[in-house]
Amino acid sequence: MIQFLLKGILRDKSRSLLPITVVSIGVALTVMLSAYMEGAFGDMIDQNARFETGHVKVMTQAYAENKEQLPNDLAILGVDELTESLRSDFPQMEWVNRIKFGGLIDVPDENGETKGQGPAAGIALDLFGANSREAQRLNIESSLVTGTMPTKKGEALIGHDFSEKLNVKIGDEVTFFGTTMNSSMTFQNFIVSGTIRFGAASMDRGALIVDISDAQHMLDMEDASGELLGFSKLNVYDDDQTQEMAAQFNAKHTKDDDEFSPIMLPLREQNNLGPMLDYSNMMSGIFIFIFVFAMSIVLWNTGLLGGLRRYQEFGIRLALGEAKGQIYRSLLMEAVLIGIIGSIVGTAIGLAVAYYLQVVGIDISGYMDNSTMLMPSVLRAKVTPGLFFIGFIPGLLAMVFGNMLSGIGIYKRETARLFKELEV
Amino acid sequence: MNKESVIIIENVTKRFPVGEGEFTALKNINLQFKRGEFTGLVGPSGSGKTTLLNIIGSLDSPTEGKAIVLGKNISDLSHQESALLRNKHIGFIFQVYNLLPVYTVFENVEFALLLQDYSKEERKKMVMEALEWVGLAGMADKKPDKLSGGEGQRVAIARAMVKRPEIVIADEPSANLDAANTHAILKTMKQLNEELGTTFLFSTHDEKVMGYLERIIHLRDGAVEEDEIIEANIINR
Repeated sequence: MIQFLLKGILRDKSRSLLPITVVSIGVALTVMLSAYMEGAFGDMIDQNARFETGHVKVMTQAYAENKEQLPNDLAILGVDELTESLRSDFPQMEWVNRIKFGGLIDVPDENGETKGQGPAAGIALDLFGANSREAQRLNIESSLVTGTMPTKKGEALIGHDFSEKLNVKIGDEVTFFGTTMNSSMTFQNFIVSGTIRFGAASMDRGALIVDISDAQHMLDMEDASGELLGFSKLNVYDDDQTQEMAAQFNAKHTKDDDEFSPIMLPLREQNNLGPMLDYSNMMSGIFIFIFVFAMSIVLWNTGLLGGLRRYQEFGIRLALGEAKGQIYRSLLMEAVLIGIIGSIVGTAIGLAVAYYLQVVGIDISGYMDNSTMLMPSVLRAKVTPGLFFIGFIPGLLAMVFGNMLSGIGIYKRETARLFKELEV
Repeated sequence: MNKESVIIIENVTKRFPVGEGEFTALKNINLQFKRGEFTGLVGPSGSGKTTLLNIIGSLDSPTEGKAIVLGKNISDLSHQESALLRNKHIGFIFQVYNLLPVYTVFENVEFALLLQDYSKEERKKMVMEALEWVGLAGMADKKPDKLSGGEGQRVAIARAMVKRPEIVIADEPSANLDAANTHAILKTMKQLNEELGTTFLFSTHDEKVMGYLERIIHLRDGAVEEDEIIEANIINR
């Protein structure tokens, strides 16, 4: 009988192809939207962590209060010792020093006269350390548009758009003008080894990337650093864990009466990311719930209509001596089969599109020319393990519930009444 | 129970709820049907023909009275027991054939055997035999949409007969057929009735069908108006 019914399902496209197509589309949309929501919000958080906040960040209290002004005069002193202490106390984290600095880039012509100038937003990080993953973390190598990574002290990367604006070529020398930690004027020549585009508008304008030892030397910051960032070695941001870690550190090191004592801030307490985290979690949950709910109703209805359309067949089967329970069970088996096939197909399609969106993404840089937000200019989906299952909620459950509901009619109606519907 | 009687209807009344009131479809009916009868229930719409056939076919049960079919009181049967009775002993022929469009003629007839424990070979033999009875053995692989109305109804007869039921219930089987096809299917059913001893119960308005019946029960307003034996047709048998 099962083989017989299966033959019927395969031959009757309105019972096989149509519901499988509807389920597949619904599941694929659910998977894609979920991936996109995960990706869009996750990217924003991740990009902030990598470029700006770390999973936790240690600064002096005074620096933390004024960090928008990049106050390197309030930087951490004795940073090597503090870093060692952090590595010992929190071995699950990777600790890195960064210095952010602002100033002016001057591009001289062949006579040494200024050819062009522009404001620079510098980041100094460990580019040459044997075990440093900073270049990888900031995705610098794959963000290179022209040239190569710096290979020795005195080399720098600059923003690609910035280089075009200032007409700077690879190998050209540029001069940075700024102020040291002690508020005296400093200038330093760098050879441009490459140009870079991060895909974040606020980073790409006036970007200057140098090795931290160059910056420490240039800014009189030997054994000092503006910021000490901690990243989970698993590269996963754990909100609870970072808050607990910050509480432990601050209890040990932060002193109310010493504004130069260090303070550790978890990601959620920086750059208004806390509300963003809560909002993204909430919105992501709400969007996914609404979508899954809506798709469930659509697929439920498909199951319902599929069941109702078949009252003729049920009448014949009753007449031939099949019990109501047998018919109901076979209806549900079909729904499970169609739900599983549709969910698998839909999940595969959804994941394929999500993966494409993860790799290629949607470029919104055109809308962000004047943006100051640190958010990706390419929105990407994110393929997570949950996506392999989420489509089964509308795909399988809703389909089966729809058929269960329509099948209840088999029980509620008198057999003779069902039979009468045969004649319609 | 009378040994010769396959169906005994005793004081059967059937009422249906209509709004806040009730409609009485059958009023205190008493009938007996013997094995091998070729009988028709005749009467205008609303006279209770289909209701009575539904009760006999164990698709419905009486509000009052007893309907005993092949020794079983319909009112006492569970859904599953009713299904089993239909599965083993009762065949149905419908006004609109009700063939499943996605299956071939062979598969439509085979469907009736799938609920029983026949092997594939047995089923094939029985289906082909049933199709030969109705003269459609050569059309076993055709789909219902390739059949004429008469051929479709003959497939429905084969489907009803393939499991060799003791009772066949035919509700207005000629309603969608022209005269030639009506005579053709009636002859086929009459022949099966004679050869296999199957009891046929019809509901009909059709004079052509009545011409073949051995017994005509006239129903009006849910009651038996006349129970008429057609001696000429019995003699012809």
